[in-house]
Amino acid sequence: MLALDLLLQGIVQGAIYALIALGLTLIYGLLRILHVAHAALFTLGGYIGVIVTNQTGSLAFALVVSMVLVGVLGILIYRVAYKPLLGKSPLVALIASIGLFIAFEEGFRIVFGSYGLSFEDPPLRTQVDLGGGLLISHSRLLIVGMAVVILSILAWLSTRTRTGIAWKATVTDPQIASSFGINIERVRYLNFFIGSALAAAAGVMVVLLTNLVEPTMGAVASYKALAIIVLGGLGSVRGTLVAALAIGIVESFGTVYIGHILDRDALAFAFLVVALMVRPQGLFKAD
Amino acid sequence: MLQVKNIQCGYKDIVAVHDLSFEAAGGEVFALIGANGAGKTTTIMALAGHIVPMRGSIIVEGHDISSGRAQGRLAHGIALVPEGRRVFPDLSVENNLTVGGHTVGREALRSNRENAYQIFPRLAERRTQLAGSLSGGEQQMLAIARAMMASPRILLVDELSLGLMPKMVDECYQVVDTLKQQGLLIILVEQSTQRALEVADQVAVLESGYLAWHGSGESARSDSSVVSAYLGN
Repeated sequence: MLALDLLLQGIVQGAIYALIALGLTLIYGLLRILHVAHAALFTLGGYIGVIVTNQTGSLAFALVVSMVLVGVLGILIYRVAYKPLLGKSPLVALIASIGLFIAFEEGFRIVFGSYGLSFEDPPLRTQVDLGGGLLISHSRLLIVGMAVVILSILAWLSTRTRTGIAWKATVTDPQIASSFGINIERVRYLNFFIGSALAAAAGVMVVLLTNLVEPTMGAVASYKALAIIVLGGLGSVRGTLVAALAIGIVESFGTVYIGHILDRDALAFAFLVVALMVRPQGLFKAD
Repeated sequence: MLQVKNIQCGYKDIVAVHDLSFEAAGGEVFALIGANGAGKTTTIMALAGHIVPMRGSIIVEGHDISSGRAQGRLAHGIALVPEGRRVFPDLSVENNLTVGGHTVGREALRSNRENAYQIFPRLAERRTQLAGSLSGGEQQMLAIARAMMASPRILLVDELSLGLMPKMVDECYQVVDTLKQQGLLIILVEQSTQRALEVADQVAVLESGYLAWHGSGESARSDSSVVSAYLGN
């Protein structure tokens, strides 16, 4: 039962990682920029989720508001910070991104205070019995369910609609995609919107679990998401999803069985090091 | 159909192609040959709009498209079969064709796709497979079929036979011949000179970025010393 329970925890955590890392992968695939500031959008998503839920009492509404606002902010970040740097070395964009991340963190501190915010009335705390005494909270169920729904919609869009297919093609090979009349710039905007909205959704979910959003919430998420996309083979969507789930599950088991030697956040990196020793190209080769 | 006038192109400070001019018409195969680094791919990429020429002009059916970018090339009837095929590996064969037909309407997309499957029955068999799982020859067929999806009038083909088995090379050249019969202009870049010469109506030899020899396919074939002098084979 413990194993099943841990597996469940791992899947919940993996679902959240998947949502954060997916946006990062999409942006890396298209622009070859390591978008460190992505994790700040994840934090902001959490803040907006808490504030709107506290104001309106509706978590669903808060989630939508958070995803849309953060999605638009993602577009703005691309337009203002990255677009002017595209011709330069990728290091320049990386530095800009780290700067942005720090600025956001400090911004959160100034605007929302340094102690963090919580739900006044934490939603979905009740538990359900999955059978055999396996308990899971409604919030965890919601997280997994949402991740499945969001990822399924994305999968459907990218294999069944012409815009989605063009988007996927552009992420893999922007130059050739443009040869077929695809407007790369529009795809970039779409990418930042979707990627950032996913990060916001992940932010709201994390706060559902921890009931606390604080200015530095994105710090760990930022480097862990980087580890995940490297493990997934930089730019591979499928690889990222598998790697996110793998890290979530490794962490959940690791915390219990080897948590006394290795910190939970170090586990992801230990796993990354071992996995890359076996498969230097990542779990899935980037195409 | 296509006029290239004194173009000079390259990357940043490096000039890879100097003062290149030629003209070609529909129903022709124009072979651009030369050693590695002679400027063939640079020329193709300039025609495809991925490189903007530093000087000179590219004129298609009376329109100067020199400063236009790749995204607008299909509107002028120019499609690209890039070096190394570059099919979208994690899209299915069918979806690769869908990308090729991104600019055409829904009905045309469907009928062009069926056409492609008729020309390449092998692709029809594999329509749901990921393009990355195809053999090199099948990928080359897909790259050609993808480029044909928007019914172009000019096809730019970079290294048609590179890395393919001889049987596949034959099949690909057969398709080139068919397309030529249909009135397309095919700009063909090849390292495998022999094959290119066999189908070419015009031959241009590039050497270190300069046009070293230019003549009809006939004269290149009959006087093989002309070409071998530049390519050393």
